[in-house]
Amino acid sequence: MSGTLFVTRVRLLADLVRGAAPAQRAQRSGDIGRRARNEATIVLGQRKLLQRVGPGLMHAFIFWGFLVLAPTIVIALIGVVDKHSTLPWLGHQGWYALLVDIFCVLVLGGVIAAVGIRKVQRPRRFEGSHLGEADLILAMIATIVISLLLWHATRIALHLNEWPASWSPVSNALSNLFGDNQATRVLERAFVWVHILTILTFLAYLPRSKHLHIFVAAINVWFGRTRAGGRLEPLKFDDPEIPEADLRFGAGKAPDLTWKQVLDTFSCTECGRCQDACPAFATGKVLSPKLVIMGLRDLVLAQDSDAPLVPAAVPAEMVWDCVTCGACVQACPVSIEHVDHIVDLRRHLVMVDADFPAESEPMLRDVERASNPWGRPQAERAEWAASLGITVLEPGDPAPEYLYWVGCASSFDERAQRTAQATAKLLRAAGVDFAILGPREGCTGDPARRIGNEYVFQAFAEQNVETLNQAGITKIVTGCPHCFNTLANEYPDFGGNYEVIHHSELLSTLVRDGRIKPDHAATEQITYHDSCYLARHNDVLEAPRQIVSAVGEAVEMRRSRKQTFCCGAGGAHMWMEERAKPINEERVREAAATGAGTLAVACPFCTVMLDDGVQGAGANLRVADVATLLSEAIDG
Amino acid sequence: MTWGWCSAMVVVFAERSDDELFRQALSFARRLEDDQLHAVGIDDAGAYSPDGWAGALAQHVRERPPSAVVAPGSERGNEVLAHAAAQLDLPFAANCVSAAHGDPLTLTRVRWGGSLLEEARVHGSPALLTVAPHAVAADTAGIEVEPIRPAAQAKVRVSERLEALSAGVSLTDADVVVSGGRGVGSAEGFAVIEELAELLGGAVGCSRAVTSAGWRPHTDQVGQTGTRISPSLYIACGISGATQHMAGCRGAKKLLAINPDREASILASADYAVIGDLHEVVPAISAEIRRTRSG
Repeated sequence: MSGTLFVTRVRLLADLVRGAAPAQRAQRSGDIGRRARNEATIVLGQRKLLQRVGPGLMHAFIFWGFLVLAPTIVIALIGVVDKHSTLPWLGHQGWYALLVDIFCVLVLGGVIAAVGIRKVQRPRRFEGSHLGEADLILAMIATIVISLLLWHATRIALHLNEWPASWSPVSNALSNLFGDNQATRVLERAFVWVHILTILTFLAYLPRSKHLHIFVAAINVWFGRTRAGGRLEPLKFDDPEIPEADLRFGAGKAPDLTWKQVLDTFSCTECGRCQDACPAFATGKVLSPKLVIMGLRDLVLAQDSDAPLVPAAVPAEMVWDCVTCGACVQACPVSIEHVDHIVDLRRHLVMVDADFPAESEPMLRDVERASNPWGRPQAERAEWAASLGITVLEPGDPAPEYLYWVGCASSFDERAQRTAQATAKLLRAAGVDFAILGPREGCTGDPARRIGNEYVFQAFAEQNVETLNQAGITKIVTGCPHCFNTLANEYPDFGGNYEVIHHSELLSTLVRDGRIKPDHAATEQITYHDSCYLARHNDVLEAPRQIVSAVGEAVEMRRSRKQTFCCGAGGAHMWMEERAKPINEERVREAAATGAGTLAVACPFCTVMLDDGVQGAGANLRVADVATLLSEAIDG
Repeated sequence: MTWGWCSAMVVVFAERSDDELFRQALSFARRLEDDQLHAVGIDDAGAYSPDGWAGALAQHVRERPPSAVVAPGSERGNEVLAHAAAQLDLPFAANCVSAAHGDPLTLTRVRWGGSLLEEARVHGSPALLTVAPHAVAADTAGIEVEPIRPAAQAKVRVSERLEALSAGVSLTDADVVVSGGRGVGSAEGFAVIEELAELLGGAVGCSRAVTSAGWRPHTDQVGQTGTRISPSLYIACGISGATQHMAGCRGAKKLLAINPDREASILASADYAVIGDLHEVVPAISAEIRRTRSG
């Protein structure tokens, strides 16, 4: 019966996944080597869980215990039927009995630790999770393990053990509680039946609870992104092979979710690490990535294909609070990709419902009309470079070694322009062959795409790719991580394949090669803020740090590298109003607490947001891009 | 009056302050069909109802079918004609700059926020058209407007009108805007700003730093995520001039900056500047204005 319950439920879940919308193949297959490595490190090695050592070990013991103890299920099934039989060979091995004993204790330790965390410590990340379910699961695990130990103990007492008793010290010690008598004979049967019945109940309960993750997680990790974390899957608007009725404009109702998204929702264990990592949640906003996934899961399981996902599964506020920083994806132990879900919800709201924050409308209009989100005339795009003697590439000019892609922010925002000027001066001084596109450089479309207007984004992607390809560009250096992410990871979907590097990477190489020689008067304490799009989505961590170390004394914040805390501009939030506490001020307070006098950044959005944050929080910090700091170090 | 099938009809809304827009629409209609023009208007007595007004218009169109219906491309014009088109199951083209009869009717209209002109053909008669504001010169001759009554059973009704929080001139309409930034220092500090604005018959604006600090409401915010304005004179007091703010006031004809920081970005965009503390400069300006007016 348990088997039937298990199978019928699993069939339903499999149908829900199979019946979902297709996800793009290229992202989900191929790259077998890395996928296998992920299974080994993330699943077997529990790498993401161990990002928090305490709870990580707690879970690792239970998980590894489950793997080691798996054969004991078979042994117990055999034992239930025939009290004198066991698994051939394995059932007789002393070393296996030892392992079983050790892991039973470790699992029990893990369960006790889990209970301690949930009942005594009560961390905030469990807010909104189904705690009752967890309690039941922990109780069942404890029962399974205790009944196994006791069964072994009674078998030893009755001299029925097929393995040398001395190899299982715990069971052996427990066996002293039981004499070789009728009572023990009854208990021996009782314990094995309790053990098996609990397992079978668990089996039936498993796919109806979040404990389903023990099967689905490994599958979900396999299909997770192996590279280009910052790339969003494009929507296909004009593919003639897709019938019009199947065209997808993001996710409006449950059938719009892709199979990977459905699998994501089934993998969620409600652990809340994503919620803990989310900068929006941390500053009092409504968004919890955990609740987004749980909400979607519940609607999918309810098999309601008519209810609008927003607000039936996810409140609209949550959808707009997201800054697409990816901290949730980074934290998730089962490779759920929350950002994909949120952006797909946005796509439907923007492109089909036209229901999005009104204050962002001018930005979308300006991107469309003026090719930059501030509506400035494109003719002024290269004004920051006036009198710097930089080549502006005209049609027909030979391609330079590097195209310096400035980006809208560094072209038009006065605080970010300083970075462009510093970068250009440094590249010139080092004799690098580069040029800029000037007025022919249009917005990469990142803010439009992140707010959900995929249509405008694709129009700009195609336009820019055409410009770049016609100019024969092969290498691009850019100071903006958002442009970097789009150019490197997203433009290949539109025919643009370039070698893209961040300005900090090129500059640190030039310093290393001696082509730029900073005057290292290094007493200034500098703390470097990792840009989400640079560090988390694109793994550029060391190059900016090398520059910082070359011009001053580096001091790290606690939330750094891939654990960095967002400045608050991502996900088109540069063009949205913010509720509750400002994310940028939260980050500035963290930076000020290091005692540094300078806050170094490598992104024009971070430059503006953190400078605003400094003024808002009243901090005593100077915010400057690494290029600016380097430029000052060679000027003297 | 005979209404052959080739008469064009122009609809006007009674209480509209955009008498100007109506005359532009009239001019557009004359070019389409000078001969037989008929104007109707709805007297709402303050009770606007898009489907009710559209119902009246639709009824009129059914009874006396014209060759086209033209209205000003104001918010109400577009809304009412859209409802009427839905009720009549007829095509509706908004923001037209020109049109010509034919089979089918051809027109040119504005798309994509003003960056495109599109030539289109309208299949279906009569065509409902609205005229892009300020794209056509206003008609000088007048026309008699026949009043029609809105349909009795309206689904939507204006129940209440809320006045904007800041009393006085509205930010978007004001010819002069006196704006304060972080330099004002506090909500109370805005008293000098309000004083000057009142003397100049203008509105009070502010930067995002001010609304984030809770000193002024969001409705006063000028900038990228606030209101975009184009007054004749914008006086920016204690505002650094970040791009995000300038996006909101770039349309100003003249900009006067009052700031103690000689390096402030806003000076690059200012026509006039006073380097000084706004708490001294602004009251001094107000005092001088009073003195000049009384003496």
